[in-house]
Amino acid sequence: MFQLGRLCVKIAGRDAGLKCVVIDVIDDSYVMIDGQTRRRKCNVKHLEPTDKVLSVKKGVSHDDVVKELKKEGIEVREKQKRSKKAKTAQAAKQEKPEPKETAKKETAKEKETSKPKSEKKTVKKAAPKTKSTTKKSTETKTKVKSAKK
Amino acid sequence: MPSGKHKSRSMRRVYEKKPGNAVSISYRKRKPSKAKCIKCGAVLKGVASERPYKMQNMAKTKKRPSRPYGGVLCSKCMREVMKEKAGE
Repeated sequence: MFQLGRLCVKIAGRDAGLKCVVIDVIDDSYVMIDGQTRRRKCNVKHLEPTDKVLSVKKGVSHDDVVKELKKEGIEVREKQKRSKKAKTAQAAKQEKPEPKETAKKETAKEKETSKPKSEKKTVKKAAPKTKSTTKKSTETKTKVKSAKK
Repeated sequence: MPSGKHKSRSMRRVYEKKPGNAVSISYRKRKPSKAKCIKCGAVLKGVASERPYKMQNMAKTKKRPSRPYGGVLCSKCMREVMKEKAGE
């Protein structure tokens, strides 16, 4: 049933529902598979055979398997390999956000300028606390409010 | 004596050991019910059932198995579904 080149559907695990081809028979219960799934050893119980057999030799490369599957109308989505071009493109992307950093610096400068104001506020707030006794604190608050006005 | 709202068992009780061999009871909210397979109703393994505040901080891989229909169907039912789909 699971001879060389048998087209199967994987029914277990994270590759479930993906199509694959038997590329080697290890023993009664295990086979090597390749295709939409990862290239790996697989238990026969985790495969559902179809009625198609592809012309595949023992020890075929992954690219040949992809070609054979394409003849059947099954496309294999490849993982994007990181080539040099992609790396350079990424580097270019990383360089772009530099203006943001400058913007951050500007905001930091603004914060520095704004800091003294906040300090003043904290001083004002802190002052009534030091004076605070139950009734007097309310009086001081009213005083502060009037001073602000 | 527990206060009125703690007399019903809607909240679970946790016995906490305090210094000096004292034991106090704290009341926590109960966990939500466990996820079940839609097809057969079996309790799903590998699916976390925690209060939302804990689920928020949990990784996605810890919340459900990373296979098709993970967290919806049990593995047996998923295989049946996949076999049916392969036959079409």
